[in-house]
Order: sequence, then C-alpha cells, then structure tokens
Amino acid sequence: MTQGVTEAAKQIVMGPAFWIATAIFIFAYALIVSEKIHKTIIALFGAVVMIVLGIVTQEDAFNSLELGVDWNVIFLLISMMVIINIMKPTGAFEYLAIKSAKIAKGRPVMILAIFSVVTAFVSAFLDNVTTVLLIAPVTLLICQALELDVVPFLITEALASNIGGTATLIGDPPNIMIASKAQLDFMAFIYHLTPVILVVLIAYIVSIKFMFGKQLVVKEELRQRVMAMNESEAIKDPVLLKKCLIVLAITITGFVLHGLLHLEPATVALFGAALLLLISGIKDPQHILAEAEWSSLFFFIGLFIIIGGVVKVGLIKWMAIEVLELTKGNLFGTSMVVLWFSAFASAFIDNIPYVATMNPLIIDMAKNLWPNLSGVQLLHHPDLMPMWWSLSLGACLGGNGTAIGASANVIVVGMAAKMGRPISFKKFMLYGMPLMIESVLISMIYIWLRYYVF
Amino acid sequence: MKAKDIMVPIQDYLSPDATVKKAVNLLRTAVQKEQKNRVMGLPVIDDDRKLVGMLSMTDILKAAYPAYMKMADLSEFTWDGMLESLARQEGNKKVKEIMTSPVITVQENNPLMECVDLLLKKHIRQMPVLNKAGNVVGMLSTRDIFCAVTQSMIENK
Repeated sequence: MTQGVTEAAKQIVMGPAFWIATAIFIFAYALIVSEKIHKTIIALFGAVVMIVLGIVTQEDAFNSLELGVDWNVIFLLISMMVIINIMKPTGAFEYLAIKSAKIAKGRPVMILAIFSVVTAFVSAFLDNVTTVLLIAPVTLLICQALELDVVPFLITEALASNIGGTATLIGDPPNIMIASKAQLDFMAFIYHLTPVILVVLIAYIVSIKFMFGKQLVVKEELRQRVMAMNESEAIKDPVLLKKCLIVLAITITGFVLHGLLHLEPATVALFGAALLLLISGIKDPQHILAEAEWSSLFFFIGLFIIIGGVVKVGLIKWMAIEVLELTKGNLFGTSMVVLWFSAFASAFIDNIPYVATMNPLIIDMAKNLWPNLSGVQLLHHPDLMPMWWSLSLGACLGGNGTAIGASANVIVVGMAAKMGRPISFKKFMLYGMPLMIESVLISMIYIWLRYYVF
Repeated sequence: MKAKDIMVPIQDYLSPDATVKKAVNLLRTAVQKEQKNRVMGLPVIDDDRKLVGMLSMTDILKAAYPAYMKMADLSEFTWDGMLESLARQEGNKKVKEIMTSPVITVQENNPLMECVDLLLKKHIRQMPVLNKAGNVVGMLSTRDIFCAVTQSMIENK
C-alpha cells in the first residue's frame, strides 16, 4: 500500500502553479481566520486571482463539477432562504415558541428542554442562524417575563440548533456540501445521521439540566405572565402560513423522494421556492430575493473556486496521501482522526471552508485506495462511507466548542451583549466544549459500533 | 431666512457623565418650562464645550425598549408594568450610554431648505445649531421651521 501511495505522490508536479495556488489558498484561509477583512471579500478576491493567474480557467470555475462552483449547494441554499423569507412574517415561529413555553407551564428547566428540542427540530430543516434568529427573540421575552438570566437559554439554543442541523442533508451547510460532493441523498443522511443525533440530543438535554437546573428558579406568580400569553395571537397571516406549510410539506416530501425521482436536492428546493413565490401572492419578488444572504452565498462561490485551484494543482491530493501515510491506510483510524480533527478544527475555524477542503481530500484518498473504481462506486465504497459521516459529525458538532465555532453561536453572543449580559469566550467554552466533547464521543462510539463492529 | 434666525437659543444641556435619572429630571422641567417651544431633547456637551450627542425623550424610551421586541412581532405578549420596570433600570446608566451619537447638526448660517432636507432625510425632529467655532448655539425643530415657513404663506395671501 505504502508503495502505491509513493507512486501517486510522484504524479504531483510541484511546479510554479502548485506553489502559487498553495500560496493563494494559505493566504486566503489565514486572512479568513484573522477576521481582519470580511471573509466573503477575501474568498472572492482569492478566487478571481486563481482565475486571473490561470490556475483554473473561467470555464473550470463556472462550469466544472470537479473544480468549479457547486451550484447544487448555492441553489439549495438560495431556495431555502427564499422559502423561509416568505414564511418569516407569518408568525409561525413566535407561535411555536410561546406554545412551547406554555406546554412547559413556565417552568424554566422544562422550557430549556422543550426549546432545545424545538430548536433542534426546526434547525434540521432550516438554516441554523435563521432558526436561532426566529426563536431567540421570544426566548428573551419569556426570560424577561420570568425574570430569568438569558445566558443559559441563549447558549443552549445555539448548541441545540447546531446539533439538530447535523441530522439531515439540508440542516447545515457542511452536510449540503458533503451530500453534493459524495452524491449522498436525503434518506442516506436520515438513515446514517438522524439516529445518532437523537442520542446526542437526549444526552445534551440531560446534561444541560445538570448544568443549569439549579440556577433557574422562578417565582410562582411570574409563571402566570407566560400562561396568560395567547399564542394564537402570534399568527399574523393564517392564509400565507397555510400556503407555506403546504409548500414546506411538498418540499420535504420531495427531499425524501429525490433519490428515487432522480432529482438533485437543489431542484427540489428550487421547486419549493418557485411554487411558494407563485402561490403566495407576492407582487414583486425583489425584496424576498434581496433578503437572501448574498454575502454567505458569495463566500461559498469564492471558496469553491479557491478549492478548485488547489485540487487542480494537486495540493489536496498531496494532503490526502499524507493523511493516509499518517494512519498507515487504517480506515477506522482515519475516520476517527477525521472525526476528532474536524471537531476541534470546526470549534475554532469556520466549518464551511474546512469541509470545502476536506471533501476533495476524502475523494483523493479514495482514489488512492481504490484506483480502479470511479463515480458512485468510488464515492459510496462501503469502507469510505464512515469517512463522510465522521466528517459531517465532526464538522457540524465541533462548532459547539467555542463562541466562534458556528454562526449561531456568534449570533447569540451578540444578542446576549445587547441584553446587557455579555458572554465571554471563556464562559461560552466552559459550557460548549464539554457538551461538544460529549456529542463527539457519542458519535465516535456510534461510528465504531455501526460501521466497524457490526 | 437662516437657521440662526429662527432657532431657539440654547438654555439647558447635559453632561455625558450625568446619570440618566438626572437627565430625565432636567428634561421634565425643560418640557414644563418652555411651553412655547416644547423641547423634545437636550444636547450633550462635554467639558471642552464640544457637542458629543443628543438625548431625546425617544432615546430614553428606546433605552427601555428591549432589542428583542424589535426583532420580532411580540407586542401581543407583553404585560402590564413591563415597560415601567425596564425604564426604572435605565435610571442609573450614564447619559453617554444611551444618547444618540454622532449628532446631525446644522451651521447657524445654513438656509432653511438645507435644514428641512436634513430633518426629512434623516427622520429627525430637531437638531442642534452650531456656530463657526463648532459650539452649540441653539436648537432648531420641525416646529420652528413650520412656524417660520407658514408665516410667509399666510402673509402672501
């Protein structure tokens, strides 16, 4: 095996193009980590330099499946953003949150638990940041009503949204990217990731009860404030809400069936978005479309092109060979390294550029291991599958480790500061890191048992 | 007509380090005192006599108004006494924490159209008038400009 690896390494030409692309890649990633300039600007600039210097052609960047922008990811994200932007003003999420607080009868630990489950569930289908932005305002109002500290609620919601997002193909951008590169369908994620995420979520709720339970005490009369809230008043536009729910149901059914129907997830999502635009009665779609998070979308576009450059010159292939040499081709060892390394890497750096790099790396690893296979046979090789799940679990759950690990964390830290209850980096880590390690441990046991023992 | 012709000369002002409680007292007396030119807010001026902000009644209500109310439609779920208790908590803050800054200002020699242009484009109701040295010499409000402008309308008739 080692000999095969050395053979493959010889094929990489480390000429000027190799070093230029590597320099652009390292420089861009370092600048993204430093946060001195906005990451989208860096990604776009790095990408266009790759094209200008001829590392990749514009044809590669715009049209190549292997080296260019992954339009499946971009259109899936845009479509889900459009659906949620139409749904936002209906009041559905405020309804859901108030209802949850009343089901908990205003008891703080129950609210914490139910809000975590609701946030995780909603995040499994919608973007994590959007979910947190929808649930958190109501949470803050309820904390005010109960005269409770907002910090435990905000932290647990961010973490729950990251956990829930891991459960499905559409829940978190790393999964969308993995699904597209590895040609895995929606049901594969449900079958392989949802079970372990359910276990992680249960363990999480038990843990937060112990972490925060004692400090959350509420006076009896304050609970009446919550019980007096009438959740049905939250629904602002019942007709639009019905249309949204119908389209959401059709879209999710479409996701479940997309493998059978031979439709890409982006096609399903775009169908949902276009259908909702059509039936919602919106006269001018401009403001709905403009509200899509263009900055994030262009960040993805830039990253894909930068990664295309380093894939083309062989840097990623070289890295894949190094990883295989390190683990001596032991695939269980490799998937454990991928899981834990991804978790700690994602706790400190953005998991989107990380996964964008790891996807081609895993594919190159597979090409080295099974040079005679290609296409789905290669991508879905039984020995390779645990690698994809390790990458997803590590990269998504790892985000819970620190205040900067995931966008949802950044959002709640910002909200807490606005509420006059700033959460320091250390304080977030005090809760986030143990909970992240717990979830990755569970994932590790799961991967070991499911893919290597049985 | 220019800004200085119709502005109300400055009478009261606040220090950035004063407590909100003190500012509220001053605002309340200013409101009662000036029946004719009802003030909506006061300029905040530091020890070097430089304008550093404005504190209006709206700023004080805004300070008590929680950020999450702005992020979602939650007005139906509020309770009696909520705003009062939040407002009470603002009393010990300093003026500089809740004032509006930077402030939109006009020069005393600016024509009225320029003043109205600012008021309308920036969605404000009043602004401080500065002299050449950059010190606040008066306040100009929608009301002052309305009175001045409509005066000529009536006279021309």
